[in-house]
Amino acid sequence: MIEPSTAARPRFRPVGITKGPGETAHEYTFVSRDDEQVLKNGEYVYYELDDIDEMTHGHTYPPDRAPHPGDGYPQGSLRVDDIIHERPQGSPPLRADDMTHGLRTDDMTDEQPQGYPAWGADISSQRADNVIHGQGTFARRVLGRIIKRVPLQLYPDTFLAEPEISPSQVAAMVGYDSRTNELFELHVSIMGYYEEATGSFINPWIPPPSGKQIFLADDEMLARILSRKQRGQPGSATIGSLLTRAPDAVPVVLAVKDFVSTHLAIIASTGAGKSYLASVIVEGLMQPHNKACVLIIDPHGEYGTLDQLANHDEFSEQGDGRGSGYRAQVKIYKPDQVKVRISTLNMGDMRHLLPEMTEKQQYLLSRALRKVNETKKGSPWSVTDLKAAVKAVSKQKGDEDSEGADDSSTVHALTWRIDQRFVDSFTFDDMQHLDLPEIFKPGQCTVVQLNDIDERDQQVVVATLLRRLNKARMETERGKVHAGEFYLPYPVFVLLEEAHHFAPSGTEVVSTAILKQVLAEGRKFGIGVGLISQRPGKLDADVLSQCQTQCIMRIVNEIDQKSVAAAIEGVGRDLLDNLPALSKGQVIVAGAAVNTPVICRVRSRITRHGGESKDAPDMWQKYFGPEAQESRHRSEAPLNGNKGFQLLR
Amino acid sequence: MFIGKIVKSDSHINYVCQIYGPREVEVEPSPADYAFGRFVRVAVRSEQADDPHSDLNFALGISYEPKTYAVGVIYDTILLNPAFGSLGPRLSNETQVELFSPDYISEKAVLIYVMVLGMMDLRMTPNGEAEFLSTMHGVPLLSLELGSEIETMTEAEVRAFHFFSDQNEPDKEAYLHMGYLPHIIAQRNSLLPMVSLRIIDQLERIFPQNLPLLSIVKRNFAWKLKVETTG
Repeated sequence: MIEPSTAARPRFRPVGITKGPGETAHEYTFVSRDDEQVLKNGEYVYYELDDIDEMTHGHTYPPDRAPHPGDGYPQGSLRVDDIIHERPQGSPPLRADDMTHGLRTDDMTDEQPQGYPAWGADISSQRADNVIHGQGTFARRVLGRIIKRVPLQLYPDTFLAEPEISPSQVAAMVGYDSRTNELFELHVSIMGYYEEATGSFINPWIPPPSGKQIFLADDEMLARILSRKQRGQPGSATIGSLLTRAPDAVPVVLAVKDFVSTHLAIIASTGAGKSYLASVIVEGLMQPHNKACVLIIDPHGEYGTLDQLANHDEFSEQGDGRGSGYRAQVKIYKPDQVKVRISTLNMGDMRHLLPEMTEKQQYLLSRALRKVNETKKGSPWSVTDLKAAVKAVSKQKGDEDSEGADDSSTVHALTWRIDQRFVDSFTFDDMQHLDLPEIFKPGQCTVVQLNDIDERDQQVVVATLLRRLNKARMETERGKVHAGEFYLPYPVFVLLEEAHHFAPSGTEVVSTAILKQVLAEGRKFGIGVGLISQRPGKLDADVLSQCQTQCIMRIVNEIDQKSVAAAIEGVGRDLLDNLPALSKGQVIVAGAAVNTPVICRVRSRITRHGGESKDAPDMWQKYFGPEAQESRHRSEAPLNGNKGFQLLR
Repeated sequence: MFIGKIVKSDSHINYVCQIYGPREVEVEPSPADYAFGRFVRVAVRSEQADDPHSDLNFALGISYEPKTYAVGVIYDTILLNPAFGSLGPRLSNETQVELFSPDYISEKAVLIYVMVLGMMDLRMTPNGEAEFLSTMHGVPLLSLELGSEIETMTEAEVRAFHFFSDQNEPDKEAYLHMGYLPHIIAQRNSLLPMVSLRIIDQLERIFPQNLPLLSIVKRNFAWKLKVETTG
């Protein structure tokens, strides 16, 4: 009794047969020849779960067939065999395996197609209507990931003695002419069957019985259940495709909502493609179905090429007559445009910027800061104001102190240091700074380049920016402001490159506290942070563990591997073992934004990449190129620019 | 050439043959003809066609019908001498015995043991060449008959017996087969490993292009036979 829909659908061939339970509770093993070499490590396979549970609870019953009390069935004591023998023609067929509870159904078992329909949709979709939990199409397919491959039968070593003769030739000569000769035992870690309603995998809590057919999960199925969102849906960011499958066969899609609210970490050794992946994510965020509000803190100036976003059609949308359409905006702040208004600095920043102040200087400065903030009442103040306040405070103090201690040398030293630090500073300015409503706009990606700025100043820039952002979002959410500089009525996403500079492990820097606060509370106020780091070992462990979505790329350093394993619970040990084997552009994605950890091949960028390594030999070669030599020769000539005449005079 | 006939069998694949003695055949087989490790063949009797013409041709040895042969290898030789042990003096000398009771002479015999390795079908073409139709390695389905004649195989026949393409995949190129090796190894006889080595030696000569392939099996055998047993 194969239903027409089943017959029409291409049947999938099983790839193996279950052997039995594996080493741990949620593992099983199956045996396969793996002729086509498809059962790679990390590949997804499934078996189909029996429906005993639901049958005994009557869940699979078509509503019109449900036994009524008057039908002669004692209410509440419905037995499974009653159901089976009463099953009408045309109702979903039972599976042979369903009879494991000692039920005898001679009339039914003959009708069972072997190796149940690949898609399973025909049965499950019918069931989906009936099943009370509202489980989706794949409810019955228990997905697992291959974690280990153990050879069971291999060629004898002596067959491998001649490099130019393949062992299969030797085997063929002695009369073993089967095409495949190897046999493997594959260990599978059980993930469970997918429940669409909750978007999670439900573990069956029991390994499959011996003899179950194992199928390779098909692309369509994986595309639906690995990622929480589908490609192109609002709130999706496609970052690439599943590594074990053909490029683009199974897209890996991040759920923007999840990684923006619970933060993202991108961790990899240098050269593994961190900033490339980050750009791919930003591209996804800027597409018309997301129109995100993104800020990138870019200490190396690698993200400048994102400005091409504005010119690509992928990032624009025609208006529908009512709106004016959409075009992604990119705003790039060069290092000399990055300004911090001095009046936004707090005492911590001051201490950081003016290190090794004496107790007295610190005391004076903190009082002066308080005073100047009180007198100016929120409006910006300048260095001059601060210096005046220092003097005023010291004077006031002198008046209070009956002993008349002389603070003049301290005041002098402090004002000298303040002068030296802030006057003529590129970064610190009396009036200008990055205006929040300017840098945070939906549909706009703002890149703040910090490449010419001293590391200490970078930390202050980030700290002040995050502090102001946090304040603005907090006050806007709480309804305290409705306009002005601190009015920011939409969530934002901040991507922090070289995050270990801003929250290093072991020491506390000026940006650590605010970063921790944003990570802890950002979810409430709509601030998402993406941390990018090449040294997870140098990144504060608390900060790393706050990021609920992790993109981990190639990490060779053992200390870094350990710190990743310690900080990230979501990724299994078996996946982390793959870290050194990943190559450039391959990433393990785990956590909140995907349904299960996946190994992904990052897609190619729509915009050009700006963070490539320099090709030094090529540049040296160019130095000795004929044109370069000629121009150098000319510029070094004694008479060039009339320098010679100058000398002669 | 015909060297003898089957007189006994030990199993479905092990046959004992008696080598033709003096005056039994025109050309008496020399020890080189029944040397250890030599390939021999025995025609398997098949249904004869009713055509009297073919009977005549068969009798004349010019049949063009396909013929099935069992192919075997000589793996043991025994010199049979019933007179051994009767060491006492005789009244009549050798010449007299030969003259007056020739049957006594024939009781001395050379027996060879042949193990059947496979079957091959071939047909003689009118221009005198053999056309090899099919080859099979392993235990034959049919058994041989007592009195069937044993024939030595030419190098061309040995080559044809080993080099063919698989029957179920005729498109695949012909390659070297030694499908009988596993069943030689399965037999319990101390000489059989040696005969395998001997076979490999012959094949190395016939198929120089397959030397590396053969050397794997040979080395494997040699190691087990020579190194592991003495070590």
